[in-house]
Amino acid sequence: MSQEQTQPQIILPRLATVLLAGYVVAVVLFYFLSGEQLHLRQSRDNFSLPGADSGTVELVFGSVVEQRFFTEIQRLERIDIQWGTYYRPNAGIVLAELVDLRSGTILLSQTFDAAGIPEGGLTTLAAETPIEGLYQTPLLLRITSDSQPGSAISPLMNTQGREEGWELSLNGVSTSGILCFALSGTDYIWTGLHYWQFAVAGLVLILLFIAVVWLRVRTGKRSYVVNAVIAVQKYRFLIRQLVARDFRTKYKRSVLGMFWSFLNPLLTMLVQYFVFSTIFKSDVPNFAAYLIIGTVMFNFFSETCNMALGSIVGNASLITKVYMPKYIYPLTRVMSSMVNLGISLIPMLMVCVFTKVQFQKSAMLAIYFLVCLTIFSLGLGLLLSASMVFFRDTQFLWGVLTMIWMYATPIFYPETILPEEFKFILQINPIYHFLKNTRLCILDGISPEPVVYVQSLLMALGALLIGALVFRKSQDRFVLYL
Amino acid sequence: MNQTMIEVNDVTMQFRMNNDKIMSLKEFVTMALRGRLHYQEFTALEHVSFTVKSGETLGLIGHNGAGKSTMLKVISGILKPTKGSVVCCGNVVPMLELGSGFDMDLTGRENIFLNGAILGYSEEFLKEKYQEIVEFSELGQFIEVPIRNYSSGMLARLAFSIATVVRPEILIVDEILSVGDAQFQEKSKKRMLQLMGGGTTVLFVSHSIKQIREMCSRVVWLERGQVRMAGQPEEICAAYENVG
Repeated sequence: MSQEQTQPQIILPRLATVLLAGYVVAVVLFYFLSGEQLHLRQSRDNFSLPGADSGTVELVFGSVVEQRFFTEIQRLERIDIQWGTYYRPNAGIVLAELVDLRSGTILLSQTFDAAGIPEGGLTTLAAETPIEGLYQTPLLLRITSDSQPGSAISPLMNTQGREEGWELSLNGVSTSGILCFALSGTDYIWTGLHYWQFAVAGLVLILLFIAVVWLRVRTGKRSYVVNAVIAVQKYRFLIRQLVARDFRTKYKRSVLGMFWSFLNPLLTMLVQYFVFSTIFKSDVPNFAAYLIIGTVMFNFFSETCNMALGSIVGNASLITKVYMPKYIYPLTRVMSSMVNLGISLIPMLMVCVFTKVQFQKSAMLAIYFLVCLTIFSLGLGLLLSASMVFFRDTQFLWGVLTMIWMYATPIFYPETILPEEFKFILQINPIYHFLKNTRLCILDGISPEPVVYVQSLLMALGALLIGALVFRKSQDRFVLYL
Repeated sequence: MNQTMIEVNDVTMQFRMNNDKIMSLKEFVTMALRGRLHYQEFTALEHVSFTVKSGETLGLIGHNGAGKSTMLKVISGILKPTKGSVVCCGNVVPMLELGSGFDMDLTGRENIFLNGAILGYSEEFLKEKYQEIVEFSELGQFIEVPIRNYSSGMLARLAFSIATVVRPEILIVDEILSVGDAQFQEKSKKRMLQLMGGGTTVLFVSHSIKQIREMCSRVVWLERGQVRMAGQPEEICAAYENVG
């Protein structure tokens, strides 16, 4: 046998260097790619427009509408006010002011031409730079005008609305209800502000980890990490051969060959696009790109799991005759699906370019969520392949489950159409999170909040951990059930 | 030269046999609920111990169901023994059933690399020995043809050529010398003898006593999972033939 014994002392320094360099590059890259979203997020205290059910007063010269309120928005950026016009042409100038009641200073002040405001229209009081330091400060929104009776507009209100400590007064008379206005702004993200501290802490952890592994090797003890590294080295060639086999045989006797990996998502997308944009109307902006990202990602997930599911049972003739670590079978299946994913990313990008998606640098961050999805699928694949050995029902059960899962993921429908009481389904669906954030990175061109990255990784690693544990515990008994 | 290559220590292998294999969750649950989930213990190997020294060719003989194949699977690591342990010093190349790693849709050439990888050979080694494998298998230009078009003799020749191209430290052979036509059989026997001469330790299972006598330097006779006799080929084979 010509196979040289792989020495941990030789690989480890190389691996440690790669690990450290990779970490540093990832940290710096992430800092630049995630942009502003690293430090700021949409405030949790953003106040959205209450539904209007009444007008306030006809805002003629001398009348005043005042709304006292508090907000926890750290950086207030804009206030929108909704207007009623009595369905007639109006004239005059309205003035909206935001006053800090503690100091009495006017923070924002803007005038609007009443003639230009339609029924139900919004006027925006925008801050040039976000106003900070308003956290829990009593604020007053005052609206006045110089209009004549008969041609004055009226701010709308919601008579049922109630908020602790808020007060609406019309011409100095306190009234129950809330003015129809909206507050929006951003909050600072604590972890984002301390990004570099976290980055350094991570670096220290990695160094510590390397040191521990190194010490174990020096003292001759074998750790899981070292064993795994050696196994990967040893079986690299085999893994490559098995992946190549999967790929070669998949399209071996078809005319178009691997072109199908490319064509498949495109055709699925076109059919769904036709169905959902003409038969069922959908109001998602850039529906084609929205759809193909969903299709590609979910297809990858279901293909990976399906392939991994049969990997142990399908290789029964090998497993009962030759020894090799059994995780290699599901692993190679996942890897060949990854090759497929790589190919189907091409039509995905093509559709995005074709529909004029404005690619921002954040599009690169989508890769992170694809990696999370892959890890998640690997974990689930390990679990399924082990379960399949003992219960052949798994394959049928999984078929049904995939279908349910597909409908529980907003692939071809916008998530907003789900009724409030079913929203929790999305929250507990990891694929939804991966998909949503991929779309956010590519289509909206912004990065999600930092905490989302951690959540996604934890979901993926959790699945991998469970899958790997179950697989490891049951793998010795596989051969008895094949 | 007298280094111990395989050490089989008091190996017991038990299988749990339920009366019929439960393969579905529903069956499992209903059976468990009715309390009918009892197993039968089946002992395939019982306290088997022996050692194989470097360069030896050990023959395993015994009737059907004596545990020969189970023993080989335990040694090659496919099965984990219920009790006891097996220690192997060196690479084990199993030739349990030839060509089980073949993929019918791939060409002979692709299968050489795939099967070689499964047997644990490295890439450089396979590239270097590729020509030798093709020549030994006598496949000629058929090597670029998908192997589903091969005859069974061609398949067996290819498999044998891949498995024996290396000098494994331990080679496990389960009834494979009846490969191909008479001429190829002669050739493969020569190759085996050459391997054994080169210091490879061979574990050899065959029903042909003639082959055992010719090839082995020591014989272990298994019966109902236990070692009935072990020793020189002549002596053991004579005793075995008297019983059989």
